Amino acid sequence: MTAPPLAHLGHWYHSLLYLAPVVIVVVVLWVQERRERRRGEADEE
Amino acid sequence: MRRRLLAAAALALGAALLVPGTALAHGLVGKQDLPIPRWLFAWAAAVVLVVSFVALATLWPRPRLERVEERPVLKVPAVLEVVCGAIGIGAFVAVVWAGFAGSQTATANLAPTMIYVVFWVAIPFATLLLGDVFAAFNPWRAAARGVSWVFSRAGGGTPTPLAYPTWLGRWPAALGILAFAWVELVYVNRDDPSTLAILVLLYAAVQLVGMSLYGIEPWTRNADAFSVYFRLFSMLSPLHWRARELYLRPPLGGAPRLDPVTGTVALLCVMIGTVSFDGLSQGQLWTGTDGIAPHLQQRFINVGFSAETALEITFTIGLLVMVGLVSGVYRLGVVGMQSVGRGHDVTELSRRFVHSLIPIALAYVIAHYFSLLTYQGQAMAFLVSDPLGDGSDIFGTATATIDYNLVGANGVWYVQVFALVLGHACGLTLAHDRALVVYSRVREATRSQYWMLAVMVGFTSLGLWLLSAAAQ
Repeated sequence: MTAPPLAHLGHWYHSLLYLAPVVIVVVVLWVQERRERRRGEADEE
Repeated sequence: MRRRLLAAAALALGAALLVPGTALAHGLVGKQDLPIPRWLFAWAAAVVLVVSFVALATLWPRPRLERVEERPVLKVPAVLEVVCGAIGIGAFVAVVWAGFAGSQTATANLAPTMIYVVFWVAIPFATLLLGDVFAAFNPWRAAARGVSWVFSRAGGGTPTPLAYPTWLGRWPAALGILAFAWVELVYVNRDDPSTLAILVLLYAAVQLVGMSLYGIEPWTRNADAFSVYFRLFSMLSPLHWRARELYLRPPLGGAPRLDPVTGTVALLCVMIGTVSFDGLSQGQLWTGTDGIAPHLQQRFINVGFSAETALEITFTIGLLVMVGLVSGVYRLGVVGMQSVGRGHDVTELSRRFVHSLIPIALAYVIAHYFSLLTYQGQAMAFLVSDPLGDGSDIFGTATATIDYNLVGANGVWYVQVFALVLGHACGLTLAHDRALVVYSRVREATRSQYWMLAVMVGFTSLGLWLLSAAAQ
């Protein structure tokens, strides 16, 4: 019986520390983009 | 809106999938003793990129790199071209000769180190500093030009070449780099000197046939994988060689001149994806006892493949998946960018911004192979004296050894982090500069680059995660 492929992730949460800045940047940029789009639409009106 | 949400989610997912727990340790020796945890470097890198982005948005309102002026600084005599070409052919012959006639122990033979360290790793480093030096030393190009010169002197001339097919673009180069990466990372006999010699001869033969069909320069510019690969890196260099003349230009100034013909996006994604896989494949997540590779390999063995073939199939899948993931992350960034402004489709934007991936590709090469070059590069001192591994001592350096204390583990790590951050900041700069041309309003240009910033932060975190895993 072979182990599942991700069994050796071990301290998998450690990898999340590398992912966290990516997620934060994406979320902040998405919110900012949304805000600017709304502002642009308001300007056009 | 939904499309952008999906793009954002997929960017994050893509980066997450690309983040295992170990990576590349080409010759890395010693133990790191860093003042802060390694993951904090990824956070710091993200902060640097965000600050760079804000600085670009506020201090860089007009394109500055699209049309840079080049200043001639030096002319070189025609004979130098001949000498460089002869040296290139000489090195080529030496590698093939060593491969066939020398010891079949990889570390004792000149061929593997010459190919995997000097050719594949040292030339990109030299190209960044000195411009496209490979063009001068390219052995198959030099041979073809030599034959063409002889024919023209004999009065016969050469037949008019066919027009290089537009639809082919840089696809042959993309496939060539993928094939090289496959040999380097997947093929079980990758270190076998005689096998390498055969592959080198095969590659040169294909290039000679291609050049004879489509002309030396059109083929070299588009289809010779290594010429195209090194030429892309040379676009970042402040030195530009053109028609036996050396020009000086601002760093990065050559990249916006990249002609994004079909296959260029694929080529750059292959370049980044294959190096990323090299990192991944040395980590515990991939090769550890309970890693993905042994598990997949066992499955292929169960369906009847030999252990060797099963391993190659497994690694081929990993290589292709990594290239696909890198392509997907870039594509998602472009899809996000396309949602800003009107009149731009994804394919057009994908090509117009592809030059921003060149510094990232080079940063990955520097970060992943710096230690290999530093340590294994020293082996050239004794290999040139004893290329066949038969005990000869041509230059009196056969007893030289590798100094593993030349650069410590901390030093390697700092170089890797610096290369990755600088490479991505350069990519951001190139993308911002291009956005100012593509989008009519500065505000739209800045908004479009939110997506490229996300891509850059994603690639930086991926690179640092792969490297940190190797150092554990």
